[in-house]
Amino acid sequence: MIFSSIPFLYYFLPAVLAVYFLTPKRGKNAVLLLASLFFYGWGEPKLLWLMVVTIAVFYLCGLAIGRSETHKKAWLVFSIAVGVGLLGLFKYADFFISSVNAATGLSVPLLKLALPVGISFYTFQCLSYTVDVYRGTVPPQKNPISFGAYVALFPQLIAGPIVRYADVARELEDRTHSWENVGIGLRRFVIGLAKKVILADNLAMLTTLYRDSTEPSAIFAWMYAIAFTLNIYFDFSGYSDMAIGLGRIFGFHFLENFDYPFLSKSVTEFWRRWHISLGSWFRDYVYIPLGGNRVGKIKWVRNILIVWMLTGLWHGAAWNFVLWGLLFAALLLIEKAIPGLQQLPGILRHGYVLLAVILSFVLFNADTLAQAETDFAALFGCAGLPLFTRETGYYLRSYAPLLVIACVGATPLIKRAAQKLGGNRLVQSVEPLLWLGLLLVCTAYLVDGSFSPFLYFRF
Amino acid sequence: MKKYQTILVLGLWGALALWAWFIPSKQISEAERRPLAQKPAFSDTFTTDFESYSLDQFPLRDSFRTLKSLFHTVVLGQRDNNGIYLTDGTAVKQEYPLNADSVNHAIGRFQKIYDKYLTESRCFYAIVPDKGYYLGEESEHLTMDYDTLYAQAAAGMPWAEEIDLRPVLSGADYYRTDTHWRQESLIPAAAALCEGLGVTPPKAEDFAMTPLERPFYGVYYGQAALPMEPDTLYLMANDLLARCTVYDYETEKTGSVYDLTKLGSRDLYDVYLSGAKALLTIENPGAKTDRELVIFRDSFGSSMAPLLVSDYAKVTLVDIRYVQPELLEQFLDFHGQDVLFLYSTLVLNSSAALK
Repeated sequence: MIFSSIPFLYYFLPAVLAVYFLTPKRGKNAVLLLASLFFYGWGEPKLLWLMVVTIAVFYLCGLAIGRSETHKKAWLVFSIAVGVGLLGLFKYADFFISSVNAATGLSVPLLKLALPVGISFYTFQCLSYTVDVYRGTVPPQKNPISFGAYVALFPQLIAGPIVRYADVARELEDRTHSWENVGIGLRRFVIGLAKKVILADNLAMLTTLYRDSTEPSAIFAWMYAIAFTLNIYFDFSGYSDMAIGLGRIFGFHFLENFDYPFLSKSVTEFWRRWHISLGSWFRDYVYIPLGGNRVGKIKWVRNILIVWMLTGLWHGAAWNFVLWGLLFAALLLIEKAIPGLQQLPGILRHGYVLLAVILSFVLFNADTLAQAETDFAALFGCAGLPLFTRETGYYLRSYAPLLVIACVGATPLIKRAAQKLGGNRLVQSVEPLLWLGLLLVCTAYLVDGSFSPFLYFRF
Repeated sequence: MKKYQTILVLGLWGALALWAWFIPSKQISEAERRPLAQKPAFSDTFTTDFESYSLDQFPLRDSFRTLKSLFHTVVLGQRDNNGIYLTDGTAVKQEYPLNADSVNHAIGRFQKIYDKYLTESRCFYAIVPDKGYYLGEESEHLTMDYDTLYAQAAAGMPWAEEIDLRPVLSGADYYRTDTHWRQESLIPAAAALCEGLGVTPPKAEDFAMTPLERPFYGVYYGQAALPMEPDTLYLMANDLLARCTVYDYETEKTGSVYDLTKLGSRDLYDVYLSGAKALLTIENPGAKTDRELVIFRDSFGSSMAPLLVSDYAKVTLVDIRYVQPELLEQFLDFHGQDVLFLYSTLVLNSSAALK
């Protein structure tokens, strides 16, 4: 089930909210766990067992690590082996086999296993849990229902943000439910829904039109690149907003996952603002354990390359994702190696980041490396395409308002304006109409449209 | 938000949800002209079936679709909605791009018919431009490459003489809410066809225009989901047409040129020769000659054929979307009749249905 669907918005969510708030405090986690398993099983009934096994294994490992003084490392290694093993089996096995086949000429048959939705998210959450228990940062969770509710919590189950156990451990046991939380959560959820349904899905249509174009041009290629960059931003940040909003309604305070990344003036800053929960996960559980930057230069470069190759692979089992990760590694290393870059005028640094990010997402969205090569050739006039065509003109006119709205929406301008107007009584009194209106417009798009999965589901 | 505001938003959301849960199911959508998904039984496809059901049966579905269309075109400034745009109150489907393979497929089907049945016949073809031909460029929308389509047809059908309808039609000759042309505007086009075929062209004064009372909401009305005035559908009638009989090979029944039993039909355009039919023959007892005409056609032919019959004793209409051409010899005797291929650019550009 996806958030931006009629079954979720008008069947599942109202029913869950009603049951949840009618249930006494001690039963609320059980309601969340059952609702989450139903939510997951709705779309992936055949792989629900994998979720349950993952919860069971990590729950038991957490207990074992907490109780055992002598074998706690063995239990940690076991839990990591299970998590990484399942992730490797379901997500990376065929990539590995096909790469070996391509390199050696062998024809080892592919496993062709279905990729469980959200496996990268919930596996990383589980890994952070056993590592944190091992480090003594958090005590093990003794209640299997509370632990299951943490792993399977439907607001962030299938597309993040990656919520660490340490961040919600206290709220799993004791959280506050209030109308204030519900109001804030509701508002955040509707904002996220609008980002996804009104902005991301319409931007996705422009990228599809480019792929289907019979009169492509260099300018259309740039429109495609910009539209996809904005599309993935609004798709993912919209989902994160919805997750954070739903969490708030249920009394959880999830950490922010995006912080206006397109304002960045360096790639380093960009990754502090984009998919914050993933970047901080790799920093805390891979980069720092490898030694971080407190090692020699060669090892430091190695650490950077490992982390960013893994970041790329986390997004997908394909070479373009590996290259995408390594591209950012290269940019980060260059930024570190040339401190003078920081002295350049802000507009130049900003332009450089935008260009790098847009081009990186062209690589990211290519189905194959050959496709990426074709896309880059189109962008830079090396594909024999005209600069502009009649078709390009039409789609430019048709999508210009949306692109402008999306560009403005990717900055804090709207948020700042809302904060300025927030004190106005008239604005306060009509605020619910705004959220209702947005909800109805989103509903209208869903009723008129077709199934549109989130981009980050494939991760 | 204040507490009462949160309760207000949640309450309205919940009310809409309850409405969705308990709304009685509708069988069909009049606006979209299609059956709606019903509450699914438990099966392997239950979740996807439920998704379809929840979309199709959502309360105020048509109003929500209109809201989406307005938001999409007015607020987001999109120049079309689901591929349909409004220009001067007329809904137009953006037929773009040209599908040359599809045109070739259609020509290939026509060639097979010619080789099997028509080598003794005088053959003609006329392509009916869709309204985007007239309204697309001036409203700065995308249009298919019509010149290439016409050139493809000319090169692929050297055995047939072209009758060009482009100069005798205009955007105003089509319904505002539908894909089809208006019968009451077709005298010049019918005259062009008759002149090409070598028979007496019709004159406007030969017909009485009878408007139908029921407003006509065409196929684009539902697809566009935008506020539009309905069309009025007219029947071009006279004594000669009143005496004509229409034989339907499928039902083996005889009827009239204008099928008034279709006045309550979902698609009012079906009053012209009963709508989608594989094989019909119009017998014209008042014909001035004993000549016969066979029209291979799509739905545009339904409203045009009555205007072509005056000189012909018999006009046979064949729609190869609904009958295999190889089977035609079981029903028809091809013996050198005049033959007209009358197809719209819409069907030629999307010809997979041609058998």
